[in-house]
Parts: sequence; C-alpha cells; structure tokens
Amino acid sequence: MNWTDYVKTAFSGRTCPEADILEELAQHAQSAYEAARAEGATKEEALRRVDVQLTAWRDDAALLSRRPDRPTAVEPPAASGRGLGILQDLRYAARLLRRQPGHTALVVATMALGICATTILASVAYGVLLSPLPWKDADRFVKVYESREGSTNRFPPLATNFSYLAWRDAHTTVDALGAWSGSSMALTGVGDPERVRVASITPSLLPMIGARPQIGRLFAEGEELPGRPPIVLLSHGLWQQRFGGQPDVIGKTVRLDSTTYTVVGVMPKDFRFLDRDARAWVPFHIRPPRQPGSKDVSVSLFNAIARLRPGVTPEQAAAEATARGRTVTPFEPIEMAIWGSNGPVIVSTVPLLEAMTKDVRPAILVLLAAVVLLLATATGNIASLQLARGTGRRREMAIRAAIGAGVGRLMRQSFVEHLLLGALGGIAGLIAAAAIGRALPALLPADFPRIDNIGLNVRIELFALAVSMTAGLACGLGPALQARRLRLVPALVEDSLAPVGGSLRSGTARTRALIMAGQVAIACVLLVGAALLIRSFTHLINADVGYDPRNVLTARMSLPDDTYPPARRAQALAVLLDRLRATGGVQFAAASNVLAFTGTAALSSFPLETRDRGTVQVQTGARWVTPDYFSAVGQQIVQGRAFNARDTATSRPVVIVSEAFARKYLGPHPLEQTLPGDKAPRQIVGIVRDAARREVTDDPQPEMFRPWTQVELDDSDLNLIVRTAGDPRAIVPALRSIVRGEDPNLLVDSVMTLNDRISESLAQPRLYTILLAAFAAFALAIAGVGLFGVLSYSVAQRAREIGVRTALGATPFRVVTLVASQALIIVAAGLIAGVIAAAWLAGALQSLLYGVAPRDPVSFAAVAAVLLIVALVATIVPARRAASVDPVRVLR
Amino acid sequence: MGRYDIARELKRGSTEILVLALVEERPRHGYDIARLIGERSGGAISFHVASLYPTLYRLEDRGLLEGRWVEKAGQRRRRYYRLTRAGRTVLKRQRSTWDTFFVALDRVARIRA
Repeated sequence: MNWTDYVKTAFSGRTCPEADILEELAQHAQSAYEAARAEGATKEEALRRVDVQLTAWRDDAALLSRRPDRPTAVEPPAASGRGLGILQDLRYAARLLRRQPGHTALVVATMALGICATTILASVAYGVLLSPLPWKDADRFVKVYESREGSTNRFPPLATNFSYLAWRDAHTTVDALGAWSGSSMALTGVGDPERVRVASITPSLLPMIGARPQIGRLFAEGEELPGRPPIVLLSHGLWQQRFGGQPDVIGKTVRLDSTTYTVVGVMPKDFRFLDRDARAWVPFHIRPPRQPGSKDVSVSLFNAIARLRPGVTPEQAAAEATARGRTVTPFEPIEMAIWGSNGPVIVSTVPLLEAMTKDVRPAILVLLAAVVLLLATATGNIASLQLARGTGRRREMAIRAAIGAGVGRLMRQSFVEHLLLGALGGIAGLIAAAAIGRALPALLPADFPRIDNIGLNVRIELFALAVSMTAGLACGLGPALQARRLRLVPALVEDSLAPVGGSLRSGTARTRALIMAGQVAIACVLLVGAALLIRSFTHLINADVGYDPRNVLTARMSLPDDTYPPARRAQALAVLLDRLRATGGVQFAAASNVLAFTGTAALSSFPLETRDRGTVQVQTGARWVTPDYFSAVGQQIVQGRAFNARDTATSRPVVIVSEAFARKYLGPHPLEQTLPGDKAPRQIVGIVRDAARREVTDDPQPEMFRPWTQVELDDSDLNLIVRTAGDPRAIVPALRSIVRGEDPNLLVDSVMTLNDRISESLAQPRLYTILLAAFAAFALAIAGVGLFGVLSYSVAQRAREIGVRTALGATPFRVVTLVASQALIIVAAGLIAGVIAAAWLAGALQSLLYGVAPRDPVSFAAVAAVLLIVALVATIVPARRAASVDPVRVLR
Repeated sequence: MGRYDIARELKRGSTEILVLALVEERPRHGYDIARLIGERSGGAISFHVASLYPTLYRLEDRGLLEGRWVEKAGQRRRRYYRLTRAGRTVLKRQRSTWDTFFVALDRVARIRA
C-alpha cells in the first residue's frame, strides 16, 4: 500500500503537513505497521495501531512544520575488502557527485578552466621550446651569425659571405654548412600572376636536414653557380595549385620575376623549412666578396646554419669560424653600415632551437608561470569550497568513524572523491584545450615560430591528467587531514550556533582564510604582470612613431629588372604616381625603396669631415624618396624644405637628414653643410623629425633621404605610399587597376594601411597583454568570490556572537567594522605577500616591457587599489548581513 | 506560573531530554526514537509518543537537533536526527536539573551511565 497517501488521507480537513513531513510520517507508519505484523498482529489490528498514531498526529497537525531542509545525504558504503573497497569508494564518490550536480559542475568547471589554460600553454611551451626539431641529429644544428667587436647596431642575426665562405672552405668542427635567404617573387607563366615567397637555398641545405623530395630530385652541388640553367623545387601546395598535382611537372617551367626556371622536384606536403611561408625553392649562390681582377666588393647577408661534428661544442665551432672570418680582408664601409663598428669579426653559433625561439621564450615562460598560478588559485578555490562543505562531510566522517571506519579508510575515501573530481576536471579541460588548440595557429601572430609544432600529444595529455589529479589530491588534502585528526565531539559540534569567539576560531575557517590570502597574493602577482603589460602596450600604441599613420595606404610592388632597367623604372613610376595623384580622394602619392614596418632597410656608411672633431665615420639609414614622401607618410620637416620637382638628375645633389643624424654628426647650422657624394657634395636642404626605422620600439636613429631623381633606381622592389582624404581602403581597387593598366604583368601586394602595419607589428605584445590580463581578471574574480564566501561563512558562524554584541548595544557600524576588519586582515596579508612576490618576479617581464619599469610604482599602486576595491565589494553583503542579525532570533 | 504550567513545562522538558539523550549516541530516525523510548523506559514512564514529531521539529528549529534525509541503497530514504553542539550543551544542562527529579528517567536517558 502507499503509506504516504494513507497518511495524507488522515489529515483531510486539517492543515496537511508538507510533503517532506508526510514522507517521514509515512515511514513511521509503515515501520509501526510492519513491527506490529512482526509481533503477530493481524492486518486489521496492525492498521488499527497505526490509526491511533494518525489520530494523534492529526491533533498535532499545526505543530508539524519545520525549517527548510538540507539535501539528502548519501549513506556511506560499509567497510569491506581492499580492492573492492576502492571500487566501492569510487561508486560512492560518483553517487555523491551526482547527488549535488550544481556543486560538482562548479568544481569541475573551475578545475577544467585551470587545466585547459595550463594544457594550452604547456602544449605551446613543449611544441615551441622543448620538442626537438624534426631532423636527424637536430641537436647538433647551430645558427651562425656574424658581428663585430664594439658593435652598436641591433641587427638581425645573419651571416655574411665574408666569413661564411672562409669557414665553408676550411672547417673541422662542423660537418656541414647551409644557407638560405627568403624573398618574394612574381610568379608568372602558369595561371594568374601572383607574388609568392621563394627561398634561395644552398644545395647543401636540404640534404643536411635529411629532406627528400616527393617527386623529382633536390639540387646538386654546383647547380647554384652562375651560368647554370635556373631550376626550382616546388612546394606541395604550389604544385597542386598551379599544376593540378600532375606528376609530369618535372621539366616544366615557371617564371619567377623575369627568369624562367625548370621544375626539378616537388617537396612533400608536410615539408616546412624555417621560412614556413616559402612556396618554392631556388639554388642560392653565395658570391665571393671580391672577384679576381675586379675592384668591386660584393656583400650578401643571409641565414646560415651548421651541423656540429659529434662531441664539438657550439663555442668550439664559433672559435673556429671567428678565426676563419678574420682571415678575410674586411671592407670597412659595409661593416660600419651594418654593425656600426669595424672591430674584429665575431662569429657566434647558437643552438638552432634556441635561436629560433629566442624572441618568444620569455613570453611563453611568463604566460606558463601565469597559468600555473591560475591553476593554483583555482585549486585553492575548490579546496576552500570543499572545506566549507566540510561541516556536513565531517559529520558524515564522524558517523562513519563511529561505526568503525578506520582513519586510513576515511582518508582514502576523501582522496578517491577528489581524484575523481580531478579526473573529471582534467578530461573536461583537455577537451576544451583540444578545441581551442585547433584554433591556436590562427590566433597566434604570423611571426610566431614553430606554430605547426603546437598541439596536443600523448605527453601533453598525460601531463594534463597528472596535473589535474595532483590538483584534485591537493583539494582532498584538507578533508583527508580532517579525517586523520578526526575527534568525534568537535567534529559534531562545529555549527552555525557556535559559541561566542574569535572570527578564525575553527580550523576550517583558519585554513580557508589562509587559502584566501594566498589567492589574493596570486591575484596580486597576476594583476601586477597584467598592469605592467597593459601600460607597456599603451606606451607602444601611443608611441610617437614620427609619422601620421592615419589615412595612409601602403603597398609593395615590383618593377622587375629585365623589363624595367633603372631609367625605365623611373619613367614607369612617374606615370603611376601621376595617375594615383589624379585619383579622387588621393592627397599625396609617393614611393620609396624603404618603409618602416615592412621589414625593409637600407644602410649606408661614409666618412664625414667635421669642423671640430676631424673625420667621423657616419652610420645611417639611407633611402630614396619621391618629392611627396614626407607629406604622404606625415613626417614633419623641422628645418629647410622637402624635395621638389626642381631636384633633378642634373641639378645640384641634395639630401635631407633626420634630427638624430643632425644631432650626432652635424654642427649647429646643418643646412649650411654638405655630405660627401659620388660626384659632387650633397647639400643638406632639410631636417625631418625622427621616425621609427623598422619597429615602434626603435630608438631614433640617423636617417638620410635622397631624391629619387638623383639615385640609380636599382631595387626592383619598392613601396607605394598614398595619403587619402577619407578611408584609404577605398582607393585599393583604383590602385590595382592603375598598376594593371600600366602593365598587366606588374604585381601589387601587401596592400595595407600604415595603421594596420603598425598594429600588425604589435601582434605579439598585444596577444601577451590580452592573455595575461584575462588570467589576472580570472584570478581577481576567484579572489573576490572567495573572499565573499569566507566572510559569509564567518558571519553565519558568528551569528550568535554578533547577536550578543547587538543585544549589548553594539551599533551596526561596529558590527560592520567587525566583519570588515576580518576582510582587511586577509586582504592585507595577501596583498603584502603578493606585492613582495610580484616585485621579485617582475624582473622576468623586463624583456616584454616598453616604456615602463618592472617595478613601476603606478602599476603596483593601481593593483593594490583594485584589490582593495574588490575586497570592499566582496565585504558589503556579508557586512550588511551581519549588521542585520536579529539578536532575538539567534539567541532564542 | 501556576501549578499546571509547571507540570506542562516538566512534561515538555522530559520529552526533550529523552529525545536529545537518544540521539546523543548516534543519529536516529523518528520511528527508532519512538521505539527506543518505549523499549528503554520499559513502560515505567507513560510517554506521549504522539508529540514526538512536533518535538523533533521544535528542537530542530531551535538548532538543538539537525535532521537530514539519508538514503541507503535499495531502501526508502529516512530522516535522521543528530545532536548539534547547542543540543549537547542543553542536554548537559537539563541533565543536571532533572537529575534530582526523575530517577525513573535513569534507564532511558542514562543520566548516570
């Protein structure tokens, strides 16, 4: 029979108790009935006894109510054999978690978030910094680069033909050398013209790294020499796109710039060399610096690697290469232009992996440390949550201890529960990390090294699971220790009606306050890091680059040598610029061989007679520009004039220099001075404001500008710069059609606004700032919510004490002070620890900061203020609750 | 306070002390408590079992007891009551008060156990 219905019927006409009480009474009625039957009563007699009870209950109906209930507890399993016990523990733990889906979801989500962030950063750190390069004996590869003693110039790590050839021809410490240089070339002849990234490689390079072609062959030694037929290796992608993946591609031809190359091979689909955008490879001939019988000196700069012989250290190889490099007769002007010093040659060799990842290593390590802190604070949050629930669980533990469960068994149960939580969080985190990880290559800046190598693998997955289990165990430590120290009486008496006492009276409250202070400290460290990066990034985007980048469109174009010898190039360029100027919305159109934020650079060095210091060796950037260049890029002329149409090939040679140039090399009246020229001295006619040479972070450097009419236009690649009245993107179609109208084979690419170029050059710092700020925000949220939880718990626990104080005349203000002072102690302790830790750790950010010191007082003060405000907000609700405690209720 | 009131208070107090004493050993459910009162008093005390549940709820409301639903595998859930810290204090105090009055309660409440 349905006892609940039976009991319910008895209350008809009276106030029926709530379902919960009905159920309890029904249990009683059923037990009484069964007991009566067991004693031998007939069904009728047993029912009659129950009915007596029901009548009595009905008389008491008005009294049958109680306060809202707690969730159902799950009866712990009985103790049994060891192996079976763990299985039982697991089943019990699973039932417990299912019983409180909200709580379980919160814990698993918190854990998953921490694990997800840690896994992603670990996969980046492993893929980029740790995993070996995918070649045989990869650890023996070193990047080779060259410098000069006393070098002052920050120059990309490249080698020159001077030292490279000397070492290549006489080496004992390395068993192979290879070199490459990337460029972009116009691909014509098959399909639409297109600019593609092409890497010139020495024939030694691909065999060195053990690369094999998918079809055809690699380059043979000697095929790079001048006079040999031009040949090319295609990437898998280019082969598919241009030749439809036809295997008979070998022997066919493509045109790159103005040369026809014969295809000799296709590289496999997954082949990526260091220049990962390269879509074709051509042989690279490294020209000797001096040809016999010629006075010309040829300098080339390129990337070089070497493979160390087994047992040889990079230092030994560097010493040998340096010695070889010093046997070559130097060529001073080039040395001064490149390195700003003509001191003795220094060749350095750096393990290739280290060289590739040098720029991103500090950022990855900082972010990895940040996610570890995040995980720690998330774990602390879970541990705190579990401790807060400890009251109920400790009672359960006490009951289980009372019915005979051993301490070990109770601890094991706690660990099993938390391992299960950890595993669930870990799996959820891994799934999220896998999803985000797939999008990662698109999110990372294009110049991030080894992006293809980032991803989840078994190692990372095992690592993530191990970390999550460890975090789970850490959360279980508190409850487990409680079980170990379990004393039944205190375990059963900790309750909301605790007697008057200090705020951190119970062990649970003390532990939670400690965790809380730790979380505040972690939030503080992460916030300081984020504040420093944000301030640094603000400096970067607000940095005065010396240009006015608004409404400027820039593009790269190529006027190849064969169809455009220098004289024709100038003519064609003049026509193009005239047509551009005639386009609606265009204010200025200009061109130059060098433009900031495009990776282009040209350097020059020459001796200069000064009035007071004798001869100095000038070291400067040098470029040619068309007359409207300064107006187009928005670079201000501070003295003298810009170039104009009267500066022609036959007029007096003129030059404009930057302020930094004038400061460093010129006297007080620069416009009266000249610079040495090929035929006649060049008159300085203007001084322009300093502007960034390559990057936002560049310090002002000497720059020299010459009118395009007075130089030989011997670079085929040049930059177009157009200043518009409105949105510069609007004229992109016009720009393309004007160029196509001039010559359908001409290619314009890298069409971008100057603003976008600057923004793109800041992609890495922006990413780091966003990530660290997100981590810090999350840590702050955890700290705020955690503080709220700890204070609320404490107010509930001290309700009686607060009631007594209120009854004795304490004003609400004093009660609020009571709660706030507790918050203050926790936050102050965390803040002090956090500030000390942050000051200690901030040095690691040094290389990521621009315009802000690692111990920037503004950042530290702002973080302290933010934390205090958050603490204040977190205190308001518990404090109000404390102030509104009704002494009559809690003291009853 | 008249004589009747005192009697009622005594009665109510006795119910409470009985219940508190029974759940002191371990958490028990309502039927269990009622049964034990019957068994342990051996009929020496006539106890008004009907008022058990209002008593339980009142004690729970005052924070002397805490009731929780407990589910055992394969059984209907039952509501168990356990003594809180405040309940323990009250029980201790009441024991010393009632000590001299109801010797008969001895076997039920184990005052001198």
